[in-house]
Amino acid sequence: MAEPILQVNSVTKCFGGLTAVNNVSFEVQQGEIIGLLGPNGAGKTTLFNVISGFYAPTSGTIIFNGKDISGKPPYTLADRGIGRTFQVVKPFAGLTVLENIIIASFLRYPKRKEAERHAWKILENTGLADRADVSAASLTLAGRKRLEIGKALALEPTFLLLDEVVAGLNPTEADKTVELILELKKQGMTILIVEHIMRVIMNISDRLVVLNFGEKIAEGTAAEVARNPLVIEAYLGEAAA
Amino acid sequence: MELLPQALMDGILLGGIYITIAIAFSLTYGVMHIIDFAVGEWIMFGAFAGYYLNKVTGLDPFLLLPVVFIMFALVGYLIQPVIHRVLSGNKGNPLLMGLVFTFGLAIMFQGIALTVFGFYSNSTPSVFSEGSFFIEKFGLSLTISSIRLAGLVYALAITAALHYLLKKTNFGLGVRALALNRESAGLMGVNGKQTASLVYGLYVGVSAMTGVLIGCILSVSAQMGTEYTIFAFFVVVLAGMGYLAGVPWAALLLGMVQSIFLIYFNPGHTLLAVFAILYIILLISPRGLFGRGV
Amino acid sequence: MKDKSIRWGLPILLILIALPAVVQDTFFLRVITEAIMWIGLALAFDVLAGYTGYLNFGHGAFFGLGAYTTAILMMQAHWPFALALPMGGVLAGVGALVAGLPTLRLKGAYFAIATWALSRAVQQLALIMDITGGPDGMRLPSFLNPQFFYYLMLAIVAVTFALLWFLLECSPFGLKLKAIREDDQGAMALGLNPTKLKMQAFILSAVPTGILGGVYAYWITFIDPASTLGDLVSDQALVMVVFGGMGTLVGPVIGALLIFAFKTLFWAYLSDFQLLYLIILGAVIALSVVFIPNGLWGTLRGLRSHKKSEEKKDESLAAKLPQNEGE
Repeated sequence: MAEPILQVNSVTKCFGGLTAVNNVSFEVQQGEIIGLLGPNGAGKTTLFNVISGFYAPTSGTIIFNGKDISGKPPYTLADRGIGRTFQVVKPFAGLTVLENIIIASFLRYPKRKEAERHAWKILENTGLADRADVSAASLTLAGRKRLEIGKALALEPTFLLLDEVVAGLNPTEADKTVELILELKKQGMTILIVEHIMRVIMNISDRLVVLNFGEKIAEGTAAEVARNPLVIEAYLGEAAA
Repeated sequence: MELLPQALMDGILLGGIYITIAIAFSLTYGVMHIIDFAVGEWIMFGAFAGYYLNKVTGLDPFLLLPVVFIMFALVGYLIQPVIHRVLSGNKGNPLLMGLVFTFGLAIMFQGIALTVFGFYSNSTPSVFSEGSFFIEKFGLSLTISSIRLAGLVYALAITAALHYLLKKTNFGLGVRALALNRESAGLMGVNGKQTASLVYGLYVGVSAMTGVLIGCILSVSAQMGTEYTIFAFFVVVLAGMGYLAGVPWAALLLGMVQSIFLIYFNPGHTLLAVFAILYIILLISPRGLFGRGV
Repeated sequence: MKDKSIRWGLPILLILIALPAVVQDTFFLRVITEAIMWIGLALAFDVLAGYTGYLNFGHGAFFGLGAYTTAILMMQAHWPFALALPMGGVLAGVGALVAGLPTLRLKGAYFAIATWALSRAVQQLALIMDITGGPDGMRLPSFLNPQFFYYLMLAIVAVTFALLWFLLECSPFGLKLKAIREDDQGAMALGLNPTKLKMQAFILSAVPTGILGGVYAYWITFIDPASTLGDLVSDQALVMVVFGGMGTLVGPVIGALLIFAFKTLFWAYLSDFQLLYLIILGAVIALSVVFIPNGLWGTLRGLRSHKKSEEKKDESLAAKLPQNEGE
């Protein structure tokens, strides 16, 4: 196999006495969609925050495109090509949808005019163009989640971290978002996705990594993972054990 | 060198008073997430309340403490909903507006105090005002004025009472839950609005009571507030904002710095030393001496 | 989004340039000069408070730093005013760097405390140092040319306004600051370095403030810690911006004009009740926050754009067109 785009090497993250992520390792290949799975509190969002630079790992390293990026601040990582969304969507509420995207576009297009042109392209791709001039605060949840993806895409990332971009949407909206994700994959984007909705994550992921209590308990294709007794136990609890 | 033990003793006596100011102040920050710039003004109003109540009734200021507490706790309880309204506004930046609001209050209070009380400085007499103890042991000689000792006893009593309130009562449990996580505390049945009003009332009451004492030990004047606002900030930043367990140590340190400067250096430089320490702490360990602030 | 009120800028500037030719009364010219100074101070304050979301309760310290630097360089080092004045701006910028370094990484409450404490520290320093003349202050050589100071003040404030208009409303910098104001974590994920941007905003706010302080010192010819470094400069800048409307460039101008007009009238007719002014100042701040959190200008603009959107409902076409009007 080729050099992986992302290597997570024995990453541990502790908060005081609490170990949120414990000795987790996995690799992501160019062009893959990797699903990150696990019950609530399994450490998925913490791992996201470590990979995207919001937390420095307590130990372990993160290699992106062959370079050690552990502990680098988020804005440096954005520049290196990592885009992310937030689970709790927080648009820049006082600004319009267009301005939200323009701000993200400045990373690749420092001039206002070019950033605005680029932002319109993103708005078209994410289906937000007709809402460009409304305040971001007035968007519905579905709209905010789209905006969140749009902002990440405006960074023109090579690697995208999506944190629950489907959860909370109605089936039609969810299908639209899945379509968008698959379209991105077709364009060659590498994606790491956290999602609670099994139907979605099982279908779109090439491989899955399963966390429980901060540790990796399984890795493989959807079919392999679904058969794994540790995964079944984690999801169904003592009832199945 | 023979002055050092005296300086340290004075520092402890002074620091005790700061503990009560800073605990209530830090608690309010923990629950409401805003800094009250009017803290010194509450102390100042409390000091004047003690001064005038003593003049009118002739009662010792120590006996007046509960009266002052109730009066000011009520005022705080009634004002808090206004602050709550500012903080829960959906326009602009609510936390920023909360800061602006208390800053505006502080300016207004200063103006009111200067208008009503003028520029004079007084002090409130108490039975403890005269007299002091001399201690001569181990080759050391210390003087402890009885009013300062009474102040320390008061500080310890208030600290113990607050500690009991927070750790042993249902109200305290609610307060701690609210400080940790507002949303889940709400889910678990803590009435956030009511609790915040009570905490703010408690804080204003304690600050005013401490003001009465400061009026006895040091002085009462309309301009005294600013100094105590600075001290309250100093203590909570040093302790780590919202971290109560750090408060006593930071308060004692402030007392020491003050008394040492008073004895060894130019007292005019005390404030500068306080600022210098504050700056260095913020630079090196912004979460306070213990790294536990928020 | 862009505020169209800028089209009033040039006519107003032309009127102001012509004004001394019409107004011969020196007292009136003096009042206008000071009004212009306050507009500048309020604008500079708003860079941080309105656009970046950080409160500088020690804005007056930078004014004082500029005033004292200019005065000391002129009196002690015998520099010409033209050289001493820019140094006032430079030192105010350095002051911002020093105050911002430990605090701009932290939550806004720390910054508010730190800047407020800094202003106290600077005042304390001016009181105890010899070079500043201590509590007695400093006297500068008098240069009695009201028109010179009028045009100097006007030039500095006009340049400041134009610069801020370009940086905050037209260039990417302003939008980046707003992003940080709204959510600095989210901004970081988009490649913005909040600490660096906040620092740039702080310096952008401090430098013009320092320069205005320098002009003030030479104009009034007397500075002391009480008047130049007192709370009044910070408090008034705050009330002007909060009352006028934070996060816009028009709001501080309106706030500065109204509050300064009130102050001038108050001082003229009620000078026996100076302390009352402090009460009113505090009350206006507190009441503005509660009743018009967007300030006068923000509230008016909100009403206007509300009206507009009502009208728009009738025209189905309007929704499709990219519009440039308010939030």
